[in-house]
Amino acid sequence: MNGILNWILWLPVIGMVGVLLTPKSKENVIRYVTLATTALTLLLTIVLYLKFDTSTAAMQFVVKVPWIEQFHINYSLGIDGITLPMTFLNALLFFICTLSSWTVHKSIKGYFALLLMLQSTVFGVFFSLDFFLFYVYWEVMLLPMFFLIGIWGGENREYAAIKFFLYTFFGSIFMLVGIIALYYASGKGVDSFSILAHQGGKFTELTVDMFGHTFSFEKIFFWFMFLGFAIKVPVFPFHTWLPHAHVQAPTAVSVILAGVLLKMGTYGFLRIAFPIFPSAAVQYSNVIAILGLISVIYGAFCAMAQDDVKKLVAYSSVSHMGFVMLGLSAMTVQGMNGAVLQMFNHGTSTAMMFLLIGILYERSHHRWIVKPDGSKGFGGLYTKLPKFSVVFIIGMFASLGLPGLSGFISEALIFLGIYQKFTTITVIAVVGLLIGAAYLLWMFKRMFFGEVNPDCEKYEDMNAREVFYMIPLCICVIFFGIFPSPLLNVMKVSVGQLVDLLAKF
Amino acid sequence: MTTLLLAESTVKEEHGSRDKIYSYALIVLGITLIFLFQNLSKAPVNIFHNAVTIDPFSTLVKIIMVLGTMGAIYLSRSSKDIYTNLKSEFAIMAVGVLIGGMLLASANNMLTLYLGIETLSILSYVMSAFKRDESTSAEAGLKYALYGGLSAGVALYGMSHLYGVLGSIQFVEMMPKLATLQGLDVAITSVSFLLFFVGIGYKISCFPFHMWTPDVYQGSPIPVTAFFSIVPKIAGLAALVRVSMIFFSGNSIFAVSWIGLMLVIAAMTMTVGNVTAIGQSSVKRLLAFSSIGHVGMMILGVVVLNNDGIRAILFYGITYLFMTLIAFYITSHLSDMYGSDSEDVFRGLIYKHPVMAIVMAGVLFSLAGMPPFSGFVAKFNIFSVIIEKKYYGMALVAAINSVISLYYYMKLAKTMIFGQADGTEQILGFTKANQAVIVALFVPVLFLGIFWEKVMLISGNATIFIK
Repeated sequence: MNGILNWILWLPVIGMVGVLLTPKSKENVIRYVTLATTALTLLLTIVLYLKFDTSTAAMQFVVKVPWIEQFHINYSLGIDGITLPMTFLNALLFFICTLSSWTVHKSIKGYFALLLMLQSTVFGVFFSLDFFLFYVYWEVMLLPMFFLIGIWGGENREYAAIKFFLYTFFGSIFMLVGIIALYYASGKGVDSFSILAHQGGKFTELTVDMFGHTFSFEKIFFWFMFLGFAIKVPVFPFHTWLPHAHVQAPTAVSVILAGVLLKMGTYGFLRIAFPIFPSAAVQYSNVIAILGLISVIYGAFCAMAQDDVKKLVAYSSVSHMGFVMLGLSAMTVQGMNGAVLQMFNHGTSTAMMFLLIGILYERSHHRWIVKPDGSKGFGGLYTKLPKFSVVFIIGMFASLGLPGLSGFISEALIFLGIYQKFTTITVIAVVGLLIGAAYLLWMFKRMFFGEVNPDCEKYEDMNAREVFYMIPLCICVIFFGIFPSPLLNVMKVSVGQLVDLLAKF
Repeated sequence: MTTLLLAESTVKEEHGSRDKIYSYALIVLGITLIFLFQNLSKAPVNIFHNAVTIDPFSTLVKIIMVLGTMGAIYLSRSSKDIYTNLKSEFAIMAVGVLIGGMLLASANNMLTLYLGIETLSILSYVMSAFKRDESTSAEAGLKYALYGGLSAGVALYGMSHLYGVLGSIQFVEMMPKLATLQGLDVAITSVSFLLFFVGIGYKISCFPFHMWTPDVYQGSPIPVTAFFSIVPKIAGLAALVRVSMIFFSGNSIFAVSWIGLMLVIAAMTMTVGNVTAIGQSSVKRLLAFSSIGHVGMMILGVVVLNNDGIRAILFYGITYLFMTLIAFYITSHLSDMYGSDSEDVFRGLIYKHPVMAIVMAGVLFSLAGMPPFSGFVAKFNIFSVIIEKKYYGMALVAAINSVISLYYYMKLAKTMIFGQADGTEQILGFTKANQAVIVALFVPVLFLGIFWEKVMLISGNATIFIK
């Protein structure tokens, strides 16, 4: 059973090779190979879920092979309760994205090959228990993203691709400095690149001389790591790459970006920044909370001002990831659980929104709520596209946090967790929820109600393929909205361990 | 032994017909390579009355240089940038420069070192002026010669003072006397070392002696540029490493100031190289500036003055060799086909030559230090040695430089892959052989990015022999 992580990690690569070996003209073969690969991966993650032992916080399904023995670098993989939901989310979204990419026609061989490579690298980031491996996957992930945005993106794709790449690289190079510093701080021993071995506040006493002053090692390198992860989340003020990347990226890539890639940032906090530098994390939790709060409010206001519906959803991601940061800064059981749950729920609900916008775009070839010339871009979609509208309503209310749907539970848990620690911030953050409801409902009103826009007359409703791939997401959103315990049970032990650790500092 | 063998080879070449010279050169270099690999595991020796050291360090450096020379000579055959009747001369001169480089890498006294620099330089001046009827090439040759002559003179001046103060030209005899220096002698010695550094600094084109690089690189034929960006640089770095390790490691009284100097030079070199590279539209010039940036990175390995630093430099050198060769191969072939080395000939490369575009993109990302390519491992090692010595500020400078370099490499990658060729021009093909060679060169770039332990061990064993 131990090899299952290897299979999940390398199956997409095998699929990628399969795609690359298929002749360019056999487009359908390429599509089905990709679909089969992602479906198989999804099945394996379900097996993983069934075999997962929820009673322990230890890493499970561990694989450990020496890689560079000279530096004690290992190829070591493992998952715990925090990673499992992300793994499932990743497998699910890539499966759905393959289906939604059926309509891509521009050099599809390269497209699907890169998509599979991206999936493998994302798995790699979540599974890695070795810093070096983690960093390699973290960086390699940028390559397929760069090309996917740059080749298959919208009009301004080159700018968006470069901005995305540079921002993330900037953050991660600081992370690299931190990783190497940790390697030496821990004495170059057998575990010097092991993420788990560093955890538990081992560097609290250490100091570091930098620019002629003596600083606490922990506090300095917490911020190095913070930079790497915060750019990825993205936390205000590092969020400016996100709207560009989202708007320019093709639908499937937007879904992946919002659905899983952003979670890598918060995952970094949960797995690396917090457990390795607990006292700095506790000390600076107010800074994290304030940055999270600004992301919530600022993201929501920005979303409200958008005329491009995809940009609106992109900014709503900034806002929703701000909630995750708030939950993390609480450092309580409810807050942390809420944060992890929000990571999953935001993944499903935003994925729905981006997919639906993609579906609409294929019909309308524009995304303007209000066109630049002031006329309405859409109108009366509700009467023309009933199936589409129903799914849209589910996705929208889930991301808005309506009770009964998934977004509500995670946000409620986050507020519950943070209230005692940062009461003022909680009160202001609730306003963010309100603004969120406002911009989403306003957008809905402008697009779906009112008179039918003449352009919208000829739009067709969702076809069978589109309905098929939206169903799993709808189920997730509704099921986990009513009954979140399958997810909470998985994560609670691992999260509890982290909270216990932080409580000591 | 190896140097002698090479000297012999050049004599042999003179007698062959033009085409044969090319094959001779490659064969002889190949044989040299075999000897060098055998030498790698042998105990170090000093020969010629301690004038030349053959230690694993110099041997590995020589291997890099021989491979670089072979690459350049191979490229010269197909390149249209070198006139047909000069191709055999290219091979001969390249081998001559290589001998100078080998001497420099093995130099164990001041005189050999100077001899190495001069042998390296004089033939280089001629090579850079190979395109006889083009004014840029003539400018390159003249500029190179003027700068080179001046800096060699300055270096010699410094060396003579060192001899005056320390009473010997043998490194090993000079070293212990450093500790006994007093008063004015200390000042003279430090100034002399500074002057001496000018000679090496010019060869590796570090700041502030880098000004000649872009013009010379641009003016020279592309195989020459490829050759220049590998052999003289690696040789100069080897000499710098040896001198630094002998005179400034351990308890040397100059250690602190030398480290300070190297830190400033490294920081300035990479910043100037990378920042200036951003605005370049000629790919040759871009690679020239980027090579300045890489030299800055490699100097950081000198700063730490220990074996880990040497290991990092050697590994960097090995990866740099392959990346540079591929970048120049592709640039050269494209420039032969489309008659220009500007960024425009790269536009839409993915649609014309998909394999080449992917390889080139890989090399560019590798140069920027992205995993899973070997450039990342090289950079990782440099970072790790300077962080071990707790030069965090320097690590940040290097980190920001990586981001800057990524930007201009990515701009080129963007042009290649996102850009659309206008479609009016004729699509000319790479020959199968050229493609095969480039892909073969790409294998180590990828392989050393993932399975780098073996080469790292070899680099780690290639220590300097001081006796």
